[in-house]
Amino acid sequence: MRGLVRYAWRALAARRARTLLTIVGISLGVGVLVAALGVDAGLDASIDRTVASMVGRADLRVTAFEETGLSAGTLEQLGAVPGVALTAPAIERKTFLASQAGRPVETAPVTILGIDASAEPRVRDLALARGVALAPSDDASALVTETLAASDGLELGDDLQILGAGAPLTVKITGVLRGDGPELGSGGRTVVVPIRTAQLLGVADGDTAPTQVGGVTRVDVVLAAGAPVDQVAASIGQALTLQPYVLSRPQDVASSLRASTLDIRATMALLAAITLFAAAILILNTMAMTVVERIRELGLLRAAGAQRSQIVRVVVTQALVLGVAGSGLGIVVGTLLAYLAAAWLRASGQLAIEGPVIGPWAVFAGIASGVGITLVAAVEPARRAAAVSPVAVLRVRSDTSRLVRAHTGWLVVVVAVIGTTAVLLLPGGATDLAIPARAVGVYVLLLVAVLLMPALLAPLARLAGLPFAVLLRLEERLARAAIRRDPGRTTLTVGALVIGLAMVVALASVAGSARVSATAWLADVVPGDEILTAIAPAPVGPGGIDTQLSSIDGVALATPIASFDLAYASTRLEAVAIRGADFLADGRLDFTAGDRTAALNALDGTGAIVLPASRAARLGVGVGDTMAVATSQGLVNLKVVGLVARSFPGRTGDAVLVGWGDATAKLGVVGADAFAVRYAPGRRADAQPQVEALARQLALTASPVSAVSGAVGDALDRLFGLLDLLALAAVVIAALGIVNTLSMDTLERVREIGMLRAAGMSRIQVWRSVLVEAGILGAMGGLVGSVTGVLVGVLLSGGGGAAGPMSVVPWPTVALAIVLGIALAMLAAAQPARLAGRVPIPMAVRGE
Amino acid sequence: MTFQPTIADEANAPRRTVLPILEARSLTKQYRMPGEIVEAVRGVSLSVMPGEFVALMGPSGSGKSTLLQLLGGLDQPSSGEVLLEGEPIGRLSDSDATRLRRERTGFVFQSFNLVPLMNVVENVGLPFTIAGQDPRSHELAARIREAIALVDLTGKERHRPDQLSAGEQQRVAVARAIVTRPALLFADEPTGNLDFRTGLDILGALWRTCMERGQTIVLVTHDAKAAAYADRVFVVGDGQIQDEIVLGRRSDHAAAPLIARLALLGL
Ligand SMILES: Nc1ncnc2c1ncn2[C@@H]1O[C@H](COP(=O)(O)OP(=O)(O)OP(=O)(O)O)[C@@H](O)[C@H]1O
Ligand SMILES: [Mg+2]
Repeated sequence: MRGLVRYAWRALAARRARTLLTIVGISLGVGVLVAALGVDAGLDASIDRTVASMVGRADLRVTAFEETGLSAGTLEQLGAVPGVALTAPAIERKTFLASQAGRPVETAPVTILGIDASAEPRVRDLALARGVALAPSDDASALVTETLAASDGLELGDDLQILGAGAPLTVKITGVLRGDGPELGSGGRTVVVPIRTAQLLGVADGDTAPTQVGGVTRVDVVLAAGAPVDQVAASIGQALTLQPYVLSRPQDVASSLRASTLDIRATMALLAAITLFAAAILILNTMAMTVVERIRELGLLRAAGAQRSQIVRVVVTQALVLGVAGSGLGIVVGTLLAYLAAAWLRASGQLAIEGPVIGPWAVFAGIASGVGITLVAAVEPARRAAAVSPVAVLRVRSDTSRLVRAHTGWLVVVVAVIGTTAVLLLPGGATDLAIPARAVGVYVLLLVAVLLMPALLAPLARLAGLPFAVLLRLEERLARAAIRRDPGRTTLTVGALVIGLAMVVALASVAGSARVSATAWLADVVPGDEILTAIAPAPVGPGGIDTQLSSIDGVALATPIASFDLAYASTRLEAVAIRGADFLADGRLDFTAGDRTAALNALDGTGAIVLPASRAARLGVGVGDTMAVATSQGLVNLKVVGLVARSFPGRTGDAVLVGWGDATAKLGVVGADAFAVRYAPGRRADAQPQVEALARQLALTASPVSAVSGAVGDALDRLFGLLDLLALAAVVIAALGIVNTLSMDTLERVREIGMLRAAGMSRIQVWRSVLVEAGILGAMGGLVGSVTGVLVGVLLSGGGGAAGPMSVVPWPTVALAIVLGIALAMLAAAQPARLAGRVPIPMAVRGE
Repeated sequence: MTFQPTIADEANAPRRTVLPILEARSLTKQYRMPGEIVEAVRGVSLSVMPGEFVALMGPSGSGKSTLLQLLGGLDQPSSGEVLLEGEPIGRLSDSDATRLRRERTGFVFQSFNLVPLMNVVENVGLPFTIAGQDPRSHELAARIREAIALVDLTGKERHRPDQLSAGEQQRVAVARAIVTRPALLFADEPTGNLDFRTGLDILGALWRTCMERGQTIVLVTHDAKAAAYADRVFVVGDGQIQDEIVLGRRSDHAAAPLIARLALLGL
């Protein structure tokens, strides 16, 4: 037995390059898995930390529903609820810092967080990097985050001027908060001030400052020791009668944060599973080749009395060596990849992740799946090796590979094992069955594509060979013959490439449709060329900002837009207030039910609502129905006057549309979030500077519609760039497989090559025929990969949307995938081709 | 029928005024192995006249294949030289050697002579394809047809190698080797894998090319019955030419005279 194990070693050592390439392939597969797990754990850890710093020791949080915030009366009711030990109110506001001499002009907004300096420390600890905490008595002190201090050049003791509704307020920096500070989603640009100061920012010149704390964004509630959370929550529900509000618990915050990362985690897990798939194909192919190559020796061993089980053990030992070495290297590769991915995600600003966490679980999962998949992949070749009768092997003079060709059928088993592994490794938050279902769908699709290969091989090779045949007829012919020698091997080789390229194409099509749906509403819905966003509700009407904008010469239209929430049938309904008449003229908003003119006119009257068709279907309401929404003044009835194909996007889908009149009079809207500005034809150039000057003066952010869609697209591109990187790992694995296969083909064809050389074929021709073989393999992979990728893309993005699936075929990426497939395959062929060209004729033509 | 070793009569003897088509001068070939040097060919000189059918015969390991590879320019000698039509081919560049193989020599090996996925016509036309010519052109197609007819395979043009018997495969190899009308045809144990009767078909095909086209042939074999097809037999032993037996051109191919002569030599 020991002797045979030594033989297993020697067989690996004899093909050092193949052994090494296979180990690298396994390590890439394991690496992507470890990276995905590391990033996943890193996201979890960051979310836990964020939740801890956000919620602190609070047991419940009451959040204002209306923009006006929670009133003093509500705060009073809340404090009186039995079981409530402490309430810590806070006001959140977005504004700008006034530019000051000696400091770089910073145009990005800041988040002002007003806190109750006496209650706050009992709820959460604000970690200070330097300086002192806010003093309860001092209204003019402020804390800034390290991030803000660094980007705006702020220091302890500096004065800050904060823009508000009235005159700017001046505060002095007394402390610097560590890192990004307590507010998520502010990009770390947070200023913490006493709650009264934050409240004063909302008071316009001439209004009297309120005497009580009000307009509160949220209140953190700490319960008395032993008070049951559920019971107190119920009591709060009975006690708060004055205003609508949302009651949440810390777990809710954590789970909503987790939900926001679910897509990327699921995609990464899927990519990891798919990369492992590609790696498994590589292993299966390598093991099959090892067995084919050694078949005569193994037959001799059998003839010399070796048991079948001993032969199996030889092959399994080889697999074990490959698996262990590959997984070990994979942990290292994965750790590097995880840091890279985390840095990338951080830079894309989409997700809060501080760093990856490579825990024992990731290491274990990496090694277990690497070794496990290698062993499973080796079972079939080992079995076939043992099943070959010694007599047959020794008798057959010619093509022994016939006896033990790679069997693609075994792939099904390998894939089933990986699939199960993947399901076990999917992020824990995936309670939604749609995600695993889609993953299984993708898996099955890829598997079917690979398994269809043998049937498609001949026509596909002919098709892929066409371009080569034009110039290199003979080489193409020989290459195609080599490809068809062992269909199983070709299938496995091309299969890995198909998978890698399919993922590249699929990601591009998903990115494409994400970009389309993220930006299409702008063109469909926004009635203007430029959007001015306000960070606080901006005044509308006579003397309001819309009037000021309209009065600029060259501005054709300035219409206010406000987004807010409606409470309907105890759910939160995202709503946007618009002026119907402003939409009437320019043809935007595509009505699928109800009369467009009548509906838009009705919005400017009272009691009308327009629903996006998708939302109407979900709520089960139609044109003519009445919806009763809850407000602080009781129920308000709104009649559905029309349905639109799409409207302004909300967090959970398209928003419902209501008129300005209702929104301000009954629904708690106090001002506009944004103004859409349209220029008169040909006047953009001269009017735009004036609009932008006014915007600056009014603390509005001006962004052309194209820039908005560009920014949305850029953020998506960065995110998908990372995913592409992971998908490329599968392509690289495929390239390693191509090197292995072509080397093996060359070895097997040594006699044929020798004969051809004796018949007058030149080295260059031999070299070219191997390159063409690679090119055909690459083109086949590119073609099948593209088709599969488009299908996977459709599956992942849930149909192609209204425009149909063809609209999401990412043609440039398809072209890229085919070129990449061919180029990479030919690059991989460089060395085998060189070897083939150098085959010495006497050696090749010598008998056995 | 006489058992006397036959010396060719004057009429059939190669004429001395014609220059040899192939000439070897003091050829040696050494293989360096770890710890020893194997001398496969040790000072061989011989010449072959145009249109001659010669055989290299000898026991296994005597150096026949090595000698053939040197004569055919597949390998380079350690010393000595090979002249093909008066030109030395020992020091040709790779591309010149390739052109030589493509245009002036043809080879038939013991096995693996054909490209599996090409049919008979394509395999026979391979040298033209390699040279970048179109084997379907009028002239070349005719030559291919002619070669196929010569080896008696007309009617099997569309068969692929795996649809042919081993003997038929070897005949396709012969047709391919002669289709370019090479100056020299080299065959290394072309019947080695075949039974006696099938082997005769191959030898018959070689013989016909020699008779009908004046093809010069160098055949390697360890079988006296095969060598009996030749005009002249070089007996190879231990890397050297031990004897030269002139049989003359005979259409009966009887092996008896050769065997008797070999017996006299104690072989
Ligand atoms: N590449 C090589 N390296 C070392 N020794 C070699 C090599 N090729 C041939 N030899 C040796 O050279 C000698 C002649 O070999 P060759 O193949 O020419 O014999 P042969 O007469 O053709 O034998 P057979 O009838 O068995 O084919 C043998 O002793 C062989 O061991
Ligand atoms: Mg030999």
